[in-house]
Amino acid sequence: MKTLKIKGIHRVFIPVLMACLLLGTILAGCAPAATPPAATGQPAADNKSAQATAFPVIPGTPRFKIATTTSLYDTGLWNYLEPMFEKKANVKLDIVYAGTGAALEYGRRGDVDAVVVHDPEAEAKFIAEGYGTNKRSFAFNHFLIAGPASDPAGIKGLPPEQAFKKLYEAGKADPTKVKFISRGDNSGTHSKEKLIWQAAGLNYGDVQKSGPWYVEAGKGMGPCLLMASEQGAYILADISTFLAFKGKVNVVPLIEQGDLFLNVYDVMAINPEKVKTAKMLPTATTFTNWLMSDEVQDIIATYGVAEYGRPLFNPLKGGGCTEPGCPKLEDYTVPVK
Amino acid sequence: MAFLQTVDLEQRAGAAVLLNRVNLSVEKGEIFAVIGPTGAGKTTLLRLINLLDRPYGGDIYFDGEKITDPSCNAVRVRRRMSMVFQKPAVFNNSVYENVAYPLKLRGGHGKDARSGVYDLLDTIGLGGYAKRKAKTLSGGEAQRVALARAVVTQPDLLLLDEPTANLDPGTVKMIEELVVRFNRDRGLTVIMSTHDMQQAQRVAGRVGVLMKGELVQVGSPDDIFYSPDSARIAGFVGMRNLLKGHVIMNEKGIAVMDVNGREIEAVSDLPAGSAVDIYIRPEDVVLSRAASAGSARNDLRCTIRSIVPNGPLCTIVTDCGFPLEATVTGRSAVELGLVQGQEVYASFKATAVRILPSMPA
Amino acid sequence: MQEIWQALVQAVNLIVSLDAEVIQISLRSLYISAASIVIAALFCVPVGALIHFHDFRGKRVTINVIQTFYSLPTVVVGLLVFLFISRSGPLGGLELLFTPAAIIIGQVILIMPVLTGMTIGALSGVDKSIRDTAISSGASSAQAMKAILFEARFAVVGALILGFGRAISEVGAALMLGGNIRGYTRVLTTAISLETQRGDIVLSLALGIILISIAMVVSVIMNILLQRY
Repeated sequence: MKTLKIKGIHRVFIPVLMACLLLGTILAGCAPAATPPAATGQPAADNKSAQATAFPVIPGTPRFKIATTTSLYDTGLWNYLEPMFEKKANVKLDIVYAGTGAALEYGRRGDVDAVVVHDPEAEAKFIAEGYGTNKRSFAFNHFLIAGPASDPAGIKGLPPEQAFKKLYEAGKADPTKVKFISRGDNSGTHSKEKLIWQAAGLNYGDVQKSGPWYVEAGKGMGPCLLMASEQGAYILADISTFLAFKGKVNVVPLIEQGDLFLNVYDVMAINPEKVKTAKMLPTATTFTNWLMSDEVQDIIATYGVAEYGRPLFNPLKGGGCTEPGCPKLEDYTVPVK
Repeated sequence: MAFLQTVDLEQRAGAAVLLNRVNLSVEKGEIFAVIGPTGAGKTTLLRLINLLDRPYGGDIYFDGEKITDPSCNAVRVRRRMSMVFQKPAVFNNSVYENVAYPLKLRGGHGKDARSGVYDLLDTIGLGGYAKRKAKTLSGGEAQRVALARAVVTQPDLLLLDEPTANLDPGTVKMIEELVVRFNRDRGLTVIMSTHDMQQAQRVAGRVGVLMKGELVQVGSPDDIFYSPDSARIAGFVGMRNLLKGHVIMNEKGIAVMDVNGREIEAVSDLPAGSAVDIYIRPEDVVLSRAASAGSARNDLRCTIRSIVPNGPLCTIVTDCGFPLEATVTGRSAVELGLVQGQEVYASFKATAVRILPSMPA
Repeated sequence: MQEIWQALVQAVNLIVSLDAEVIQISLRSLYISAASIVIAALFCVPVGALIHFHDFRGKRVTINVIQTFYSLPTVVVGLLVFLFISRSGPLGGLELLFTPAAIIIGQVILIMPVLTGMTIGALSGVDKSIRDTAISSGASSAQAMKAILFEARFAVVGALILGFGRAISEVGAALMLGGNIRGYTRVLTTAISLETQRGDIVLSLALGIILISIAMVVSVIMNILLQRY
């Protein structure tokens, strides 16, 4: 049979097509280059990387990308804050919604310029490895353990560690009666859960393998709550997401007190020295400082009151956080330079 | 050199030889029929002429130009020819678009071209069909569209590959008439392949016989029909009586032959002793109840072996010491009261007997 | 089940009231999928034609491979493209991640096998005699290909509609590559995903109804255009 002969017209056709393909892709939705605003305190050496952003075909407002955890997102707080910041800093704020684990990964890859998460241990590691910088805290709330109103494991009112121990035993004994939904996704909530298991004296690996009562959902906070509601299971949730879903789920809060329940939200900028492709440090700084500003702190103090009767988050400003484990003063008051 | 000339044209498919050194000459303005049985290579030949396929060997010359030369622009050459295929092929489009397609290819789509198409549709008897979807046409109508499409650009050469192979007699007649008309009115050279000898007789000026990839005989339809060059050709053109014998004596151009103990006379110069092949057309055999008083030199007593109706005709197979087939009209068979087993006299003229020296068929 | 009825009502509401966000998301879905199909078609239809019209060693294998990729899992494609266009990936400098362009890239890759394979299928369905007819009518190679493509037009458009459908209903890659950013890369499918997660079943269904409606309208329009020509 004939071998493939690319005849005359096709010789031209194919490269032209590929060029069109590439061009079309780039033009179709090309992000304007994320060049830093003109006045920058960056050392001159960064100029090259600033210009290296390719294809600013459609010059427009620079885009500032952050990754935020699901619990903050599901409450709609960001929908509220987003336009405010965009106006203030004259950037397009792109909010990517991911669990803490994924958010930090985006940060490591430089796909976002800042991360907002609530996992102190992971954050410390992130900063120690050099990826994150200028960490500040700006809000806090609490976790709670919710479950079926009938409380088959009988954990109501117990301290969290004891409750978990009881759940472990009851669940192993009778998985049809007692179930637990875990986030299972390396999120801040998941990390908190693991901490509580640790405090309960249990090895997390053992817990995972201990039986069908322990369900690793791999989903966001909202979907996990829905799942717990469906299955009549216990679940660790942050108060804000729980409240936001209150009408849609039929699990009730069973334990709301406990030092381990403190949940602090932090923001970190991605360090351009470690992550070469992160270029928006100045905007990240503006963002961080803005979160700590009176304007935002006041909003946080009242967000959700109208709908849920109580605020979903608590501002740190004014020393509202007094429990053990609360961030130090400088962590939430000192602006980033 | 002829208008269309092939020189030692050869085509293969793997190890099989489809065409073996075919030398075909077609003159400008004539209708040339290529006849042969299925699988003889007729389609292969026409496809080569139309440059749809490349030959294994040999050359084709068209209007003096060697079109099998690699440097020759096939598209330009093909635009001077057109071809109609055995299976009516129409595009999934309107009849008008189908016929106008070759014009569109050449960029000619002005008002003149348009009216030309409509005129052509009238000519082929499909005036008013312009907007019809071509796929809804019958086979005969579609083939007429294909024919119109083939002549709309006034080509110099029209190739037809068994164009009426699967069509009803009415359409066959229509298409044959159209072909003859186009040839006459436009001086269009036509090469047509067919397995139907009668069609070749009706339409063609000259006939070439293609058998197993070889062009074995070329001549007028009568030449082929009445004087086939070999048993093979004879069989193909419908000479159903093929006998073997030898010449006993030859007197003044009349040869007397012995065939299985019976004697037959034919016009021939072959000397006594020659082993011969003898061909007699069934239509030339006349049957009667009594010995013929006519001028036929051959008058044999035979027994009817079978009577096979064949449309309006009847094929009678007799035993005259050797098998002899006669074709009579159905009426004659009835009037003669012919039945199986009956004795009849079969007579035929010496001039109706064709003999050739025996050679391997 | 009453959710479905509620969803129907809400869908109509959203459309009639020209809810700004829904309109924005729908237009974005439409635009991204349309861009994907156009880009993919520009490449795949000619390539499919090339593969069909030429014989070469491994042609059968190539076609088999293409057909295998019909079932490319969308998340896998999303993940692979993500690795490429992430800022720390080889194409990071293009700043494509979390932009509509990234979604387009992902969708183009996803629908390329289907478009190519079905173009080949469409052309294979055209009778061989069409090519002979075109060529003997005086068509050049390119003109003959055009004639055959035209003969196959219904099947080819069918392939385009299928590709468009696959693109507009795709979630995995759109999520991973676009980031579901409100006002920028949120499309109908990712919005449905989000609202489902948020527990707003009715809104999700309503968006789903809108999605199906769009797909239907596009299909109808393409068929009408086809009948015309």
